[in-house]
Amino acid sequence: MVKLIIDPITRISGFLGVEVEIEKNKIVEAKVEGNLFRGFEKILKGRYALDAVYLTERICGICSSAHALAATLALENALNLVPTENVIYIRDLLHSFDIIQNHIRHFYLFTVPDYVEFDFSSPLYETCHKDYRIPDKLSRKIQEDYLKSIEFSKLAHVGVALLGGKAPHNHGILPGIVSVSLDRLKIEEIKSIINKIKDFVDNCMLEDVNIISMYYGDYFEKGKTYNNFLSFGLFDYEDFYYVKPSVIINGVKSDFDVNKIHENINYSWYEVHDGQVVENIKKKGAYSFVKSPRYDKMPVEVGPLARMILSGKYNLKSSTMDRIIARCQEASNILRIMSIIVERIEPFKKEVKYDFKVSSGLGMVDTTRGALLHYVKLDYDKIDGYDIITPSAWNFSPRDDFLGTVEKALVDTFIDDINDVVEVGRIVRSFDPCISCATHVTLRR
Amino acid sequence: MKNCLWEVINNKNSLSKALAEEVAVQIRFGKTKKPNVIWIEATGCSGNTISLMNADYPDLIYLLDNMINLKFSNSLMVCDGERAFESFLKTLKEDFILVVEGAVSTKEDGLFNIIANYKGNKITAYDAIKMAGAKAKSIIAVGTCASFGGVSKAYPNPSEAKSVKEVLQKDVINLPGCPSHPEWIIGTLAYIITNEKIEVDDLGRPLLFYGFTIHDFCERRVYFNNRIFAKNIGEPWCMFKLGCRGPVTKTDCPKRRWNNKVNWPIGDNTPCIGCANAYFPDGMEPFIRL
Repeated sequence: MVKLIIDPITRISGFLGVEVEIEKNKIVEAKVEGNLFRGFEKILKGRYALDAVYLTERICGICSSAHALAATLALENALNLVPTENVIYIRDLLHSFDIIQNHIRHFYLFTVPDYVEFDFSSPLYETCHKDYRIPDKLSRKIQEDYLKSIEFSKLAHVGVALLGGKAPHNHGILPGIVSVSLDRLKIEEIKSIINKIKDFVDNCMLEDVNIISMYYGDYFEKGKTYNNFLSFGLFDYEDFYYVKPSVIINGVKSDFDVNKIHENINYSWYEVHDGQVVENIKKKGAYSFVKSPRYDKMPVEVGPLARMILSGKYNLKSSTMDRIIARCQEASNILRIMSIIVERIEPFKKEVKYDFKVSSGLGMVDTTRGALLHYVKLDYDKIDGYDIITPSAWNFSPRDDFLGTVEKALVDTFIDDINDVVEVGRIVRSFDPCISCATHVTLRR
Repeated sequence: MKNCLWEVINNKNSLSKALAEEVAVQIRFGKTKKPNVIWIEATGCSGNTISLMNADYPDLIYLLDNMINLKFSNSLMVCDGERAFESFLKTLKEDFILVVEGAVSTKEDGLFNIIANYKGNKITAYDAIKMAGAKAKSIIAVGTCASFGGVSKAYPNPSEAKSVKEVLQKDVINLPGCPSHPEWIIGTLAYIITNEKIEVDDLGRPLLFYGFTIHDFCERRVYFNNRIFAKNIGEPWCMFKLGCRGPVTKTDCPKRRWNNKVNWPIGDNTPCIGCANAYFPDGMEPFIRL
């Protein structure tokens, strides 16, 4: 038996280590370790309610708009504030520009170097694995698209900035309103950005993922999870939707029920003291700052593959390559939805009045990496308690009775070359880990 | 300062592009060497790396090809595991510039932020920053967390986070901002590479980028001078009464703007929240007074 620790897993957001045990070329044990603690829920307590929007954005540099939106939804829920359709469309558009930025960057900057060897001069691109199978000519094509992708991911952030001032950490989304002044020129500007990015995704990104999947067909067999999938819903409007709040457990689809969400900390560096969850780095048996959220006691997979399956756009299966393909296909699908939404937005006058009281609110939205939940307890205009369950917590949780989702994906994987274990990084990255997000502490439930 | 003022006023928008081109020319003609850079992400959100990816002129690829040898970056480097950390260790034996984003978590000797596991030993960001900080030719703290502690150090500071300067007790160039603007980062690197001194204020911030308050150059200043104030989010007037921190925040955002210069927070009808301030966020709240 060989024990192997791969830490850092680079080309992700945040800090993640993976420990695997390999027997006869097969992974028999896997531990996924979240290596960062920030304690946002503690920081938020006692602060002004509205500040939750801009502060929780700072949880994550790559998916900040998602937190702005989830915090806004939680506050609207607490304040009984119902935004107009126009406001919903505009902020969904802003959020989707950030999802597109994420998907393009995750595919080209983080995923592609696992499969394609570049010939850039920067030492950043030195490789430490040998398994590169794509012929030179196609590798150069993908390398050219890699360079183009930098422009298009930036352009997606220009979309965020047009609607929200700047990116990352935009200012545009607030409870009940969006701050942007729209005019007809700005709307056309946004449309042209959507068209440009869609052209790149449809003509380059989808082709590149197709090439990669042809040369790495064995990755349709590596990195399988439980076939449990969850989504809080995304672009769920009256007359059309992408994905409804829904779950698949053991292959069976049903409606989503928020009461079935639980969190445990059995193997996380936390303990309960006087009803409060506190950090304890010395806790025996624990190995991660990520907690273990469960749906109906089961670990689930969240993210683009989960959404594509739940929306009926992808067959019910899970693997490293399916995950990567689903992300690219979803990017194209979201851009299509964005061009529908952008036709519906219009300039408007902003008016909002906040009526603060003692209340609580839940904000749930699917975002780049999957299902994101914010829960706020208000004492008038101050925050009395805040809980966050991030997408990466669902995927990267440690075990309880079941292995965490990514641990499950690793275990039973066949390792081609025991002296060059390239599979672990590829499997883990296919989930698009964001460990800056995943590491939190809950104050109360 | 006088020279700096001239540059800010006359050459602001194209400055970091001009600086970067100068560096590339010097490197090509052998006047300077492409320096090694170690970029450590510590307790933060990695948003400064994302901001760097948003750089336009020069962009990320130009920076990597023509200006620096980036030897270690958790977000970007192709290698992983021990080989990745070995690249960090090898670079320590050569000349290099240290860039840190994120605050330094010191609780439990730094174990709240582990950046590598090397031959069975957990390497904390705290360790790595001390190791690299002792040998670095220059040290740049990128973003408000690295510069002053920022959101990571916000009360009650759950991870006992400190700024890079607090930990290293050495000269550090601070490039605060949440995130830092890509041109502030690349522009500062350009000075260091050409061995030209970049003037800094008493908080270690380059005067070139942080010499004036946002209020000094705000496009809505005329409304302030005429006492025309916005009372709600979305109004096109001066947002002083909504809690705008422009008067106490030193950055060149009004002129430099963000994301291909298309916008900035005040252009989006929201007040400046003072994200580049030493007292952000605790001293800047509430962000919006409504």
